[in-house]
Amino acid sequence: MDTLRTRVDEIRASFDATAIGVAVYDTETRGELHYGADRWFHAASTIKVAILLGVFDAIHRGVLVPQSRLHVRNRFVSAYDGSPFRVLADRDANSEVHEAIGKTMRISELALHMIATSSNLATNLLLDLVGLANVQRTVAHFGIEGVDVRRGVEDELAFEHGIVNRVTANGLVALLRIIAEERAFTHELSRGMLEILHQQEFRNGIPARLPRAVRVAHKTGDISTVAHDAGIVYPPERRPYVVAILTEWNATTTGGGARSSTIASISHAVYECLAGDRLRTAGGAGG
Amino acid sequence: MADVHALRVVDGFRLEKGYRDALLPGGALRDERGGTRQLPRYFFEVPSWDAARDVELAPHFQLWEFMHTDVREAPPLRVFPRYVPCAVTLTAMVLEHFREAVGAPIRIAANGGYRSPGHELTRHASAHCWGTAVNIYRVGDTNLDSRETIERFAGVARQELPGVWTRPFGSARGFADDHLHLDLGYVVAVPHDAPADPFNPKLDGDPL
Repeated sequence: MDTLRTRVDEIRASFDATAIGVAVYDTETRGELHYGADRWFHAASTIKVAILLGVFDAIHRGVLVPQSRLHVRNRFVSAYDGSPFRVLADRDANSEVHEAIGKTMRISELALHMIATSSNLATNLLLDLVGLANVQRTVAHFGIEGVDVRRGVEDELAFEHGIVNRVTANGLVALLRIIAEERAFTHELSRGMLEILHQQEFRNGIPARLPRAVRVAHKTGDISTVAHDAGIVYPPERRPYVVAILTEWNATTTGGGARSSTIASISHAVYECLAGDRLRTAGGAGG
Repeated sequence: MADVHALRVVDGFRLEKGYRDALLPGGALRDERGGTRQLPRYFFEVPSWDAARDVELAPHFQLWEFMHTDVREAPPLRVFPRYVPCAVTLTAMVLEHFREAVGAPIRIAANGGYRSPGHELTRHASAHCWGTAVNIYRVGDTNLDSRETIERFAGVARQELPGVWTRPFGSARGFADDHLHLDLGYVVAVPHDAPADPFNPKLDGDPL
């Protein structure tokens, strides 16, 4: 892991990120890396993994079933003062949920959209349904530190008043380990969350420079000042490892390419360190 | 297509306890000003979603549009058979007239037709619990999510539908800012074929 730490230092030096946090947990060797891993970052969309956990907690408690239908309504209240706000369709990565406004969608569909296409509308609908307090309680129940869920997404008023969702690299790894190790409620429910994370459509971060045979269940997060990716990496013929790569940037000077390249490079370095032999025998890097 | 006579009319008093607890037939709800409003007692029994889709209440409105609720509906009412107050037929007729007036299809939002007193969104005596209110989120291709569109169609409703109440535009409780709420008030309908109690002149308050 010392070699990996040096490599992260080198990658950091070659880009102009203002901060980087990396945490790794290898389920095969139980090896760990903590690189700025307790530094808090704006969570961006990585917070949706915690909300997914809250939704599955509600399923576990019998409050919901995945087939339950929910009214798709684009009206939420700010965590700051309760004033209403909407998720703007042109700022949301997913249009399918917006097209269902007025109708209903299944909880399972909304959960998939929340993660795979990072739908902000689906996220706020699910958080409204299960309740912020229940999500916070679920995160606390598993003893996860470093994941601070305080509101839904696109709540600009709350953002302006300093109410933000925050994560640390260690926090996201702790959260994902619960899912990877199938400790989240039941084996079946853990696998249900994993299946959703495996369907991630944004693949320019952790998976970008890994061999094609490597499967990654992950969640990205990207706003003007941060770019993150956190996930569970399944190399061939090896037990998985969990990795969170959090980066912070100057909003006015950096394009998206440097951000995703930084994350992909660190992910590649982690892979080389933990599964380098497989990297050389699995057909080379993809992407 | 079937008409509403294909459905059995039931006396809510005679339903199983789980349904009675959710529907509160003939019970009371408090309105926004603290007054008491008496809930409907008679319901159409809807055996299946297919039946809900098959029953036409008006030329352009099927029953399912008035009973499309979500996971926040009371658990017994999320599965069939389900029960809808008989006044829903009047609501459909009014909406048909509204559709003619605006010359475009009307879309009722989920949770925006009948929802029971046991629905999580029910906080007081909303006419939704009588089956006599609808939340319209779209008219033709126009989404009703702005002051301009909501007030424009509310004006048409008030002009064309005497006695209908529309919720004013706004974001506070009692207002609406992402749909048009049309409301006939606390109307109770008792169809001719509804089961009735035996006549008893000794009943307190019996108007006969």
